[in-house]
Amino acid sequence: MAARALLLGFILVFACFSDTCFAIIYFSSLQRTLVVTASHPQRLLKAGEDKITVTWGLNQSFPAGTDSAYKTIKVQLCYAPISQVDRAWRKTHDSLSKDKTCQFKIVKTPYTTTNHTSEWTIERDVPTATYFVRAYALDAQDQQVAYGQNTDAKKTTNLFEIQAITGRHVSLDIASVCFSAFSVVALMGFFFAEKRKGGKAQQ
Amino acid sequence: MEISSNGAETQPKFALPVDSEHKATEFRLFSAAAPHMRAFHLSWVSFFACFVSTFAAPPLLPIIRDNLNLTATDIGNAGIASVSGAVFARLAMGTACDLFGPRLASASLILLTAPVVFFTSIASSPVSFLLVRFFTGFSLATFVSTQFWMSSMFSAPVVGTANGVAGGWGNLGGGATQLIMPLVFGLIRDIGAVKFTAWRIAFFIPALFQTLSAFAVLLFGQDLPDGNYKRLQKSGDKQKDKFSRVFYHGITNYRGWILALTYGYCFGVELTIDNIIAEYFYDRFNLKLHTAGIIAASFGLANIISRPGGGILSDAMGKRFGMRGRLWTLWTVQTLGGVFCIILGQVNSLSASVAVMIIFSFFVQAACGLTFGVVPFVSRRSLGVISGMTGGGGNVGAVVTQLIFFKGSRYSKETGITLMGIMIICCSLPLFLIYFPQWGGMFCGPSSAKTATEEDYYMSEWSSNEKDKGLHEASLKFADNSRRERGRSVHSQTLPSNATPPADV
Repeated sequence: MAARALLLGFILVFACFSDTCFAIIYFSSLQRTLVVTASHPQRLLKAGEDKITVTWGLNQSFPAGTDSAYKTIKVQLCYAPISQVDRAWRKTHDSLSKDKTCQFKIVKTPYTTTNHTSEWTIERDVPTATYFVRAYALDAQDQQVAYGQNTDAKKTTNLFEIQAITGRHVSLDIASVCFSAFSVVALMGFFFAEKRKGGKAQQ
Repeated sequence: MEISSNGAETQPKFALPVDSEHKATEFRLFSAAAPHMRAFHLSWVSFFACFVSTFAAPPLLPIIRDNLNLTATDIGNAGIASVSGAVFARLAMGTACDLFGPRLASASLILLTAPVVFFTSIASSPVSFLLVRFFTGFSLATFVSTQFWMSSMFSAPVVGTANGVAGGWGNLGGGATQLIMPLVFGLIRDIGAVKFTAWRIAFFIPALFQTLSAFAVLLFGQDLPDGNYKRLQKSGDKQKDKFSRVFYHGITNYRGWILALTYGYCFGVELTIDNIIAEYFYDRFNLKLHTAGIIAASFGLANIISRPGGGILSDAMGKRFGMRGRLWTLWTVQTLGGVFCIILGQVNSLSASVAVMIIFSFFVQAACGLTFGVVPFVSRRSLGVISGMTGGGGNVGAVVTQLIFFKGSRYSKETGITLMGIMIICCSLPLFLIYFPQWGGMFCGPSSAKTATEEDYYMSEWSSNEKDKGLHEASLKFADNSRRERGRSVHSQTLPSNATPPADV
């Protein structure tokens, strides 16, 4: 009971702390200054097997000095609108601290003024869905200051699908069937034994 | 007819003091003496296992929903399916207990639903997920066998307590699973399994636990203080009853229907919260899976004292004020549960939510315990059917509530919780309509008519033909033992120890 109260106190303090330390950043306030492209072998990719190659760099049409605050680039895998339907846990919020659109990190590296390319093998815990790639430019306090994505503003072009692993294994399937059969057979065994005991008691 | 209380030489010796039906008049929690306390421990552990299995999926939903590509609608449907199977299963279990005894009935159900829990590991689509949750939910019918078994083993002074502790500690499974499953999942994942495989392996734990508890019930349990149904029926000590008569007298008792409705809004609400609360905290307050699980668990874990507390309170009220006290306390506690549910939906901060949720859990679970302080007295012949109706009503409440307020994206979860609180208050009002001629109701005292005695009430379930055959003897003993429900002020008058049923042919 005391441990639980302590944990709750900790959560409360942390929640207060995180709110006061960081100002709320809105996605709509970010400028789209990065150019991001993602290439992949085919449109339907397999988690755990296929690779995505991501390239990003500053859009040269912006004035020099736009990227003075950029310290790190974080590239993320984000859900396309079609995969967000009826799934509130993937919802897009304008407030970036509440936004759940981008849940997988592809790479996080220090910012360089030249274009950067990275190859990423899709991790095995990525679910089946339609995705696009977005890169956030972070400042020294790890706050988002700009972004870029490989799709348009409405998130309709250049989308790709990822097929997740099932997580099933043959050994699991066999174990399930065996244990299930054992339960049912054991029940029948008990009934049989009871009937025999009842028959003996009558004699 | 003489009811002897000290037939010393021929009576077997029991570890606990017993009444004329050999039901224990005391409840000793830390004893495992056969048959009474052993039955208690077997029944609550096996019921706990079923609860763990039925609610093993919700704490892992953030992983499962990604693996099986579920939408909010799929999750809502599966949640409804998980509690709807038990609606008719509970009624069937009630009848099975009346006819075959709680030991065989519960063990059979548990061993037949264990395979479904094993098959959860193989689920690969929203449809298969819904099916496994639906069939696993059938195991919640063991609630009825638990209550029936306790009502068969424990006498009126402690039946509320026994029912409350057994039911409460079983329901604990719904809270414990929110802790156990994320822990087991984390362990398996850390050993090296991928997330989408780790949750599948984790399901073997509740499945194995369920299977082993059923074995224990079969090996160590017995139906009645005097033995098992089959043996007693063969020796003639227990009459084999007819399904149609048992069923008829159960469903024609209006009190059973009212209790079914009101139980839907204490236990049904508890089941609904078990299904939605982990996801609610995870999504609304952006917590980690493990943390959301701990908070969600504290709702179910309150059962360790809240439901037993309700049962003990019911017995205490019954001792002082009789059945009327039991009814008033039930209505008060359940209505307060509704009030705190409304508040839970309104608070916005994490700490306030947790605090209100814990208070709410106490009231709603105590109401469950209080309900089963009343149920054993509604019928003697059809105890199983009444228990089954009430228990089934609990699940209907869960189905209806989840359908209206928690399916898809129509209401936010907070709004759903507030509306559920309002529904609790409204659906507790029918308690005012319950009336026992011999004990009274919430607003009316007992009837002063000559035919308003405990014997008349319980004998009305037997036809004169059946009475001629002597089938009603057990009910007669129960009627005598239930006279305490008149409350202390009335009971203090000296009553004749052998009550002859009036106007007997």
